Amino acid sequence: MTHCTMEDLLDLRAGEGSVAARRHVTACAACGADLEALHQRAAQLRALPPRRPSRDRWPAVRETLAAERRLGRRRLAWRLAGLAAAAGLFGIVVLRGVGPGASEAYGDEIALAKQESAAIEERLGAYDVSGGVMSGREAALAVELEDRIAVIDGALAQTAREAELLDLWQRRVDLMEQLFEVRVSRTAYVAF
Amino acid sequence: MTLSLAVPDILVARAKAGDEEALEALYRAFETPVYNLARRMLRHSEDAEDVLQETFLEVVRSIGRYRGDGSLWGWIRQIAASKALMRIRREQVRTTEELLEDTTGRAAPPVGLALDLERAFESLSETSRAVVWLYDVEGYTHEEIAELMGKTVSFSKSQLARAHARLRRQLGGADGGTT
Repeated sequence: MTHCTMEDLLDLRAGEGSVAARRHVTACAACGADLEALHQRAAQLRALPPRRPSRDRWPAVRETLAAERRLGRRRLAWRLAGLAAAAGLFGIVVLRGVGPGASEAYGDEIALAKQESAAIEERLGAYDVSGGVMSGREAALAVELEDRIAVIDGALAQTAREAELLDLWQRRVDLMEQLFEVRVSRTAYVAF
Repeated sequence: MTLSLAVPDILVARAKAGDEEALEALYRAFETPVYNLARRMLRHSEDAEDVLQETFLEVVRSIGRYRGDGSLWGWIRQIAASKALMRIRREQVRTTEELLEDTTGRAAPPVGLALDLERAFESLSETSRAVVWLYDVEGYTHEEIAELMGKTVSFSKSQLARAHARLRRQLGGADGGTT
């Protein structure tokens, strides 16, 4: 048999390997030394001193989790507010019929969505510390979300119909929340 | 690498209940082994730190699903290895790793210049490093590595053989080739 290949030697090291390879390695000093070196190398790799991180990443983990919890509470509050508004609108419609009351309910909901949108924007401003340290995928996602928000802003400027305004503001809030998630998780990674 | 990786059950129970001090204690207990695993697999320390962070975010979010069937380190290590491999895959989309390795020349030192093991290992491609580390140090099987990497068993075996052949060439001495 010719000398053992690295595949043969690795099989032998794993306790496998062909009979011919096993026979060869006991007879051939060079291949025997190679097999021994393989054993040694694995042992030396296991004995390498552990690498340690240069920075403490726990504060970033904690901050990201706290941001997620805040966002979760916000979303819950928004959903509850939405349900409450829907229930209120239903009550108005039932009690008064569709008329001036419906417009009033739209106004309340639009105001709520505007408030929510402004709050997220404010929080985004507070988190935007890195000025662009994002992965390509995250950056692309952020740009896409910002584009979609800009389209909605354009549409908001061109309509006065309350039902449409409400829909646009609610979609804006949803996109802002997504943008916040992309930005916050990334800035938390780079902020510490 | 010899580190104590056993943690008290009560600490795990408190972490599962969302106790922030317990979660931080888990982070402190596993910070070095997770970072070391990621750093051995990845070329850049910043990437390894990102993997450390991503791993613990995942640990905190998912610890409720940890049933205690295997060791906690085994569970955390699986998450960390998976995150590191995801990063390697993402990086491979951007660059052709093997081409980089062959063209930079850092993996092929002049004949007769023996590198130490640490430097020789560092010069391997990230995929090769990951396979060598997972197989030779962490004790994963080729089947487990193949599953983690989304590749075949023969891919894992051939990566290991190529990596060791390269290490042998670089380390010289008793590793002088016979094939």
